[in-house]
Amino acid sequence: MTLSTMLSTMAAGMLRTCGIFALTLIGSLPLGMVIALLRKSKFAPVRFLVSIYIAVIRGTPLMLQLLVWYFGPFYLFEWSIRGWRFPALILGFILNYAAYFAEIYRGGIESMPVGQYEAAEVLGYTRTQTFMRIILPQVVKRIMPSVTNEVITLVKDTSLAFTLAYQEVFSLAKQISASQTSFMPFVIAGVFYFIANYAVAFAMARIEKALDYYR
Amino acid sequence: MIVEMKNIRKHFEGLEVLKDISFGVDSGEVVSIIGPSGSGKSTLLRCATFLETIDGGEIIYMGKRAAHTDESGRAVYVHHRELRQFRAYCGLVFQQFNLFPHYNVLQNLIDAPIEVQHRNRDEAEQTAMELLKKMGIADKAKAYPYQLSGGQQQRVAIARALAMKPEILFFDEPTSALDPELTGEVLKVIRQLAEEKMTMVVVTHEMSFAKAVSNRVIFMADGLIVEHGDPREVFENPHEDRTRQFLRVFDR
Ligand SMILES: Nc1ncnc2c1ncn2[C@@H]1O[C@H](COP(=O)(O)OP(=O)(O)OP(=O)(O)O)[C@@H](O)[C@H]1O
Ligand SMILES: [Mg+2]
Repeated sequence: MTLSTMLSTMAAGMLRTCGIFALTLIGSLPLGMVIALLRKSKFAPVRFLVSIYIAVIRGTPLMLQLLVWYFGPFYLFEWSIRGWRFPALILGFILNYAAYFAEIYRGGIESMPVGQYEAAEVLGYTRTQTFMRIILPQVVKRIMPSVTNEVITLVKDTSLAFTLAYQEVFSLAKQISASQTSFMPFVIAGVFYFIANYAVAFAMARIEKALDYYR
Repeated sequence: MIVEMKNIRKHFEGLEVLKDISFGVDSGEVVSIIGPSGSGKSTLLRCATFLETIDGGEIIYMGKRAAHTDESGRAVYVHHRELRQFRAYCGLVFQQFNLFPHYNVLQNLIDAPIEVQHRNRDEAEQTAMELLKKMGIADKAKAYPYQLSGGQQQRVAIARALAMKPEILFFDEPTSALDPELTGEVLKVIRQLAEEKMTMVVVTHEMSFAKAVSNRVIFMADGLIVEHGDPREVFENPHEDRTRQFLRVFDR
């Protein structure tokens, strides 16, 4: 196998890795906010369920969670899992990352000084207006460093998709390396992850800079 | 009467903070509230501006009742939609300014008028610029709060409250968080508002200011109004021992 065929085979894997990455963020960034708000719900049972969910997600390996989402329907309900691999994978990633983002959001929301809420209340803002116009924009700025950390971890975590034998760049590297008895695929994968992380860090730095106009 | 507070009671976890407080403020009046730390001055303002709910008593704005005590002795408020009406009557200036840091000065002044009162943007901006001019900080319209001195921030906070066109403005120790050399510029704009007959209630430790500007002074201690009257009377010829004792500390 020449280097160029190796590269082009792996390029498909890189695309799939980017797919996992993008879909996970698209799903988990907003879902995390929903979970963070539910965690502050007026109804104690809701708060309880959400805190259990977060504890379980954070207390077990993502790899295990992926296996549960993939094989669970079969073992529990004897459902056919054909075609379920990719949905299970994305579901597992989104639910996992949403829990972590929820905790980051909660920390950010709780770090807001009470004076901001009171100033808004006296000015007559509704609760929704207060959250959307006054609190959320400031929370976004406060949590950017933690979100960046999480996003960079996600780039590397996508490799866990190999657990479900999904052919993203890491699974492919392993396969090609075994069949070609070559170390090269791992080097290519490594360079890919490094560049991807570099791009992510760059993008996040740009966002943080864009939010630098106030303190 | 702009506002009447009648027999206001309020407690926090077993601590009686306000025990039967009554006073009213007429249109154009300036009332100062003085008193030792922990006497309940802030709590009183927070009840008047609906940041805290009272346990008992009556709050009346513009002759309309916002809260009263029912037969069972509990305070009941009007429906929250109606309460927003009452909120619009009053503004509050905080000790810590509480400006919105992600908005520039102009945005701080026009956001609530546009979003809450649904006023026209051009009109809101024009009102805001006039207020900033009056506060002497028109050149700071595009600055962010962190770029301003404490005195400038507090003047923006006053302008933000006035931009809502309240009937009455409450101040909770507006100069206590400021360096001494900056208190003057804030007191000056409050004095100017008093001359324009803005109705105001000012909690303050600035005794000479209270004496010079207010029409009436309320001295509070331990959740009660101990003395209430003409500033000259209260400051120079107090009837109560408690008042004398408090003022002596400031004379030194
Ligand atoms: N949210 C609260 N929960 C419990 N206790 C409170 C709360 N707010 C105020 N208190 C207590 O109520 C009392 C009166 O407080 P308040 O802030 O009204 O006093 P103050 O006259 O404004 O004092 P200062 O001059 O120090 O500002 C204090 O003993 C305070 O500890
Ligand atoms: Mg106070």
